[in-house]
Amino acid sequence: MILAARRLAAALSFMALALFILLPFFQVVQLSITSTLGTDEAQLGSFTLMNYRNIFASPALTASLINSVTYVTLNVALTLLVALPAAYAFSRHAFRGRRAFFITLLAFRVTPPVVLSLPVFILFSQLNLINTPVGIALVHCVFNVPIAIWILESFISAVPRQYDEAATLDGYSTVGFFMKYLIPVIAPGIGVAAFFCFVFSWVEVVFARTLTVTDGKPITMAISNLFGFQTDVGLVMAMTVFSLLPGLAMIYFVRNHIAKGFVVRS
Amino acid sequence: MPATRLWLLLLPAILTMVLVGVIPLFIVFEYSFYDIFTLDSRVWVGGHWYVDLLTSARFYESFLRSLTFSLVVLGLQFPLGICIALMIPREGPFRTSTLILLALPLVVPWNMIPIIWLSLVDIDTGMIGIALNRMNLTFDYKFNAIHTWALIVAMDTWHWIGLVAILAYSGLASISPSHYQAASIDQASRWQVFRWIQFPAMRNVLLMALLLRFMDSLMIYTEAFGINAGGPAAATAFLTLDLGEEMRGFDYGPAAARSMIYFVMTLFVVWVFLRSSAAQRRHD
Repeated sequence: MILAARRLAAALSFMALALFILLPFFQVVQLSITSTLGTDEAQLGSFTLMNYRNIFASPALTASLINSVTYVTLNVALTLLVALPAAYAFSRHAFRGRRAFFITLLAFRVTPPVVLSLPVFILFSQLNLINTPVGIALVHCVFNVPIAIWILESFISAVPRQYDEAATLDGYSTVGFFMKYLIPVIAPGIGVAAFFCFVFSWVEVVFARTLTVTDGKPITMAISNLFGFQTDVGLVMAMTVFSLLPGLAMIYFVRNHIAKGFVVRS
Repeated sequence: MPATRLWLLLLPAILTMVLVGVIPLFIVFEYSFYDIFTLDSRVWVGGHWYVDLLTSARFYESFLRSLTFSLVVLGLQFPLGICIALMIPREGPFRTSTLILLALPLVVPWNMIPIIWLSLVDIDTGMIGIALNRMNLTFDYKFNAIHTWALIVAMDTWHWIGLVAILAYSGLASISPSHYQAASIDQASRWQVFRWIQFPAMRNVLLMALLLRFMDSLMIYTEAFGINAGGPAAATAFLTLDLGEEMRGFDYGPAAARSMIYFVMTLFVVWVFLRSSAAQRRHD
């Protein structure tokens, strides 16, 4: 009896949670298939796929999709490349300045982008990194490298040290050891780190907006630019649906490992 | 391992962080002492901007507002997130689907979040707006400060509850089943299991979650601005609002001084968190 009541309570709370989280998504999808301005083809408020067709009719919108995917992919690759060796060093060595380095990383991770956006813009103007995906991919390292080091370090620390020593005895160089030994054992960790870097880069707005003045606009800015005197809410929501797809795909890929990334050693 | 190899491993990360973090910080530091008309013509003003900012009532008001906001959302999201984590089963398909559900809001671009929530409470086309209207309730997020706050708090909770729950759950997942068996042999109560087994396993990740959520809510910008641009009558004018305004107005000097002060605040918060986690570890 008590068990049944408890199960019912658990089921009800889960449904409440699901409703709370999913309701905004239902709203987005619903508006994206509604004619919100009204045309000859589709009356105001009627069902239509016109909004999705309009995305592909606009070169600015399709270009923005490509821009976003480009800088996010570049950022994930760059972040993993620099974070993996650092995470290994962090995991295996107690070196001087370790704590100071850790505090600095953490501080940059939580520094709001708006605080750094002005100097980054000035610096990147001089380096010719404005209006290009490379600039955004680089600047997003400021919060992604720390988070990647943190996640990868906890995965590497779960691998026994004897494992490294065995590889060294086999005569592997550092690069060979990383490629042949370390990366395969911590593959789930790399997946989780890639997931979080992808997500944080994909959702970031302030840097992405500041660094694209005339060209290379990300999807988030393309959506903001749709707002005007008479906003086509349906088109905005159709674009929003597209802006969610890569994130959803990433969640699906790491679904079984998502919670393991943060089991820090106590 | 020789020291050279250690530093070679760290070097790529250090160079990257210097380029995108340390150098920009030095640039802001320098700019904060100048009145800048264009980037080529500027006048040294010393600590003028700092004195200006630290003696303005507006700064402290927005600081208090942001602090209140942080306390409200943390007070809501942490108990709720921990409860959700405790309810997730330890294995099976239900576990995976709950985690996927929780991760969904995290992948929404930040400027889309206020747009989505405004469309939800829209009186003509929004699901919540229409429902409230049918019940004859007026929801006026534009001119009623309490309603604006409620909307921003609900939105922020929707956005971040998943992160708190996933992190708390990752702590719980590290508990070995033998601990639970030992507890049940000892006939430990539900509360005792939480207090002596589950909570200690979550403590470290929760501390990290607390740091991330505290800083993000204290410095909330894109999402809150998108709802009502700080209104009504500055009721939701949080810390970052003035910084954003100064940059939009090309007021580089004051913006740089403000950035430095916010960065020092960030450093201070990180330092406090690390100290308390170190103290906790010594205590164990």
